[in-house]
Amino acid sequence: MEAKQSVLIIGGGIAGIQASLDLASRGMKVYLVEKTPSIGGRMSQLDKTFPTMDCSMCILAPKMIECFRHPNITLLTYAEVQEVKGSAGNFRVKILKKPRFVDLEKCTGCGECAQHCPVEVPNEFDMGLGVRKAIYVPFPQAVPLKYTIDDENCVKCRLCQRMCKAGAINYDQPPETIDLNVGAIIVATGFELFDAQTRSEYGYGKYQNVLTSLEFERLLSASGPTGGHLLRLSDGRIPRRIAFIQCVGSRSLKGGVSYCSSACCVYATKEGVLIREHNPECEVYVFYNDLKVFGKGFQEFVNRAKNEWGVKYVRALPGEVVEDPKTGDLTIWYEDTTENVTKSMKADIVVLCPALVPRVTSKELAGILGLELDEFGFMKSRDPLFAPVDTNLPGIYICGYCQGPKDIPESVAQASGAAARAAEAIVAAGKEAH
Amino acid sequence: MAYEPRIVAFLCNWCSYMGANLAGTSRISYPPNIRIIRVMCSGRVDPIFVISAFEAGADGVLVCGCHPGDCHYVSGNLKAEKRIETTRKLVKLLGLGPERLRLEWISTSEGGKFAEVVTDFTQKLRKIGPSPLKSEANPKAKASLNVQEVIKKAIAETNVRYCLECGKCSGSCPISRLNEAYSPRRTVEKFLIGLENKVLPTADLWTCLTCFTCTERCPSDVKYPYFIRACRRVAPVDVKEELCAHRGIPMALSRIMTNPKIKQERMDWLPDGAEISEKGDLLYFVGCAPYLDVYFEDFNLGLIKIPQSVVKILDKVGIKPVILRNEKCCGHDLLWTGDFENFEKLAKVNAADFKETGAKKIVTACPEGYRTFKEDYPKFLENFDFEVLHISELLSELIDKGELKFDTKIARKVVYHDPCRLGRHMGVYEPPRKVLASLPGTELVEMERNRQNALCCGVSSWLSCNRYSKGVQIDRLREAKATGADLLVTACHKCQIHWKCVTSEKLPVDPGEVTMEMRDLSVLVAEALKLA
Repeated sequence: MEAKQSVLIIGGGIAGIQASLDLASRGMKVYLVEKTPSIGGRMSQLDKTFPTMDCSMCILAPKMIECFRHPNITLLTYAEVQEVKGSAGNFRVKILKKPRFVDLEKCTGCGECAQHCPVEVPNEFDMGLGVRKAIYVPFPQAVPLKYTIDDENCVKCRLCQRMCKAGAINYDQPPETIDLNVGAIIVATGFELFDAQTRSEYGYGKYQNVLTSLEFERLLSASGPTGGHLLRLSDGRIPRRIAFIQCVGSRSLKGGVSYCSSACCVYATKEGVLIREHNPECEVYVFYNDLKVFGKGFQEFVNRAKNEWGVKYVRALPGEVVEDPKTGDLTIWYEDTTENVTKSMKADIVVLCPALVPRVTSKELAGILGLELDEFGFMKSRDPLFAPVDTNLPGIYICGYCQGPKDIPESVAQASGAAARAAEAIVAAGKEAH
Repeated sequence: MAYEPRIVAFLCNWCSYMGANLAGTSRISYPPNIRIIRVMCSGRVDPIFVISAFEAGADGVLVCGCHPGDCHYVSGNLKAEKRIETTRKLVKLLGLGPERLRLEWISTSEGGKFAEVVTDFTQKLRKIGPSPLKSEANPKAKASLNVQEVIKKAIAETNVRYCLECGKCSGSCPISRLNEAYSPRRTVEKFLIGLENKVLPTADLWTCLTCFTCTERCPSDVKYPYFIRACRRVAPVDVKEELCAHRGIPMALSRIMTNPKIKQERMDWLPDGAEISEKGDLLYFVGCAPYLDVYFEDFNLGLIKIPQSVVKILDKVGIKPVILRNEKCCGHDLLWTGDFENFEKLAKVNAADFKETGAKKIVTACPEGYRTFKEDYPKFLENFDFEVLHISELLSELIDKGELKFDTKIARKVVYHDPCRLGRHMGVYEPPRKVLASLPGTELVEMERNRQNALCCGVSSWLSCNRYSKGVQIDRLREAKATGADLLVTACHKCQIHWKCVTSEKLPVDPGEVTMEMRDLSVLVAEALKLA
């Protein structure tokens, strides 16, 4: 296909997937580059999505498969953008395909290798709560469903090679550099969590029963480390009270980021409802400062959580969480600002909702692409009002969380917007050439 | 006009006042230099009575009570004897001359003795000359300030307007947890909606420990302790004085030191053979240890060992520190209790004295002095450009250079408490730990709440010592004890005083849960160097 008719999409999360599908279905060639061994991104880690309570994987997996099967989409997983030259209509891109040490053509995804691998390491997909092997697929619905050897942890025992009936293991696989010529680029690199240990008063990293929301999401998920059983990690006990703490690092003029991460109030509500579904005897408290639930149907969702599911909201940001070393129970100290009384509350699990921040690597990527970043490291829009998906460079577009705080529906809408702008740019470049 | 001494006399109601009365009715003449204040018992005479009399310009203070054995309250006069002994030491430290304070036993029938005592005391005071504190100016005088403007400025400078009203401060505040009526959030709120009069004349303003826990955690970076400090400047003084522990003696001593004529005699603690210099690169600021050691002598904390240890350690590594013989208070307590005027006076005097020694570095073994010199002096003074070090920083530097070799094993399990002013105020968390960890045989353990999250020792600037602060103190000691450590080390002498104080009283918990051996960092280091 002609170079000008193709688009490079960086980041295989829901935004990248949506943009790929949009462009591919209008006949353009898409190269979807993903850093990890599978596309799916953050959404694949979620148990349910708000406000509809859809099973996240159930609505995402078909889109992932579509990406995989689409004749116009080439998936470049476990790959990173190394160099970008040229300009709109004619970008020359170098992509490094990291060696998986598994032949993608031969691997059938049977999993025999992982069964025999003796090395267990914390599972990134489960936010380190569970374990995976040194040869692994990140999660069962991974796309492509091909195994990857994690070179850092592999002990080179060659057991997997012996067990693989397809003969797919190749320890000598070299890294591969792919040169592409594309007409436009879309960046959709998403977010990561603010380091909750920075707010040491909440004891994250020190107390086993203080979790981040994404860890807790995995704990709730049927594909998670407990198989969907809501248990406390320190002692396997069924929790009787779970508290969420909002704005851990968000809306902070000091020791965090000053913006609102925009998704936390609603996902905490969602997780709260899920807890009540799992175990109606478990109380749920959400400590918040302002309930910023501004999306369509979100306020109604919160109302239902309060009235139908009995999720309790306390208007306070706690000052401190202290663990009883004997029981692992946590005491939360806060001032109930509606009653004007400083109180404490015992909880079995405390879930922190940390700020969502741009990927650390987005700075490097912005350097490669020549993109401007804002003070927080988000990709800068050319015009925040009228060109939100455009960047300082023509032909390069942005969508999803890497552009700014947003939720899934907004990311998807923005991805379609970025896809449309990319297509527009390619058409314009084509006309100029004639 | 020739100098005539003025004497303030505190006479006990039952014996001495009657004795004075007898002198009068018997028409025995004595010099008119005396102003009599009747007290129910000589035991009522608190050191602050004496110090305040001197501060107000008295040349001598006379305290008279019943003869031992005759006290109408059994032993009030014996208590008085002890108190006056302590007070005399303070008077001596201030350089006023211990003989300006006189204690006499005068019974109802001793009208003649009363007259003799007054005559003799007056003559002696005539010989000694006037008190250096005699002046027309009232040391407690405050600048007249526009309250509204001060508050407005404080709000602007401390980010108060950014308050989200999330209550994280109250949830963090050690006092709010015990006293639910107190909340930094609500205090700030009142100022913002113009209800400052609901705070300024109340105890709320003096409740804040200024421990910086709320500031450390506030998402909006509201600097609450600074806000409170600024507001304290315009608050009614009587409320403050009522809430000051030890009847405000520490502040009175500090105020007295603003007087340029004062010549203290504060160097008695200097160990034999210790080498110090008049001029040099490094100045060791001793701080209030000599005074606190006297005032809290009943606690047997050996606070004076702190400066002694520091000097010995410095001598050992070949540093002959400059020590000011007439060193003034750093002014920390005055500043944090809102007395900016006297603080500035002290700051100016200190800065001039420091400059004169040619010192480049100032070392303190006290977190309050450290904070004040490093943080506050540069803001209040122009060109205050000394390098300020806490002793733990200096020690950790010396250990790095290999200049400190420990030869004594301190086989102890040690827990370190972060003083607020060293930790959260100044961010010095690691140097003291490093020093402790390098002492041979020491096992260093941590309390549940440490570093940024360390709990305050319960009182700061001698304000609001009450059941809530006692509660905080007990909480902290329990936490220390729960670590299983057998030695509690801190780097602030005031922490030790407060803990010793709470454990000397009747405790609401099993004393075994809170009683711990305590040691100052410098003293422990000196022990490890066999210098103690």
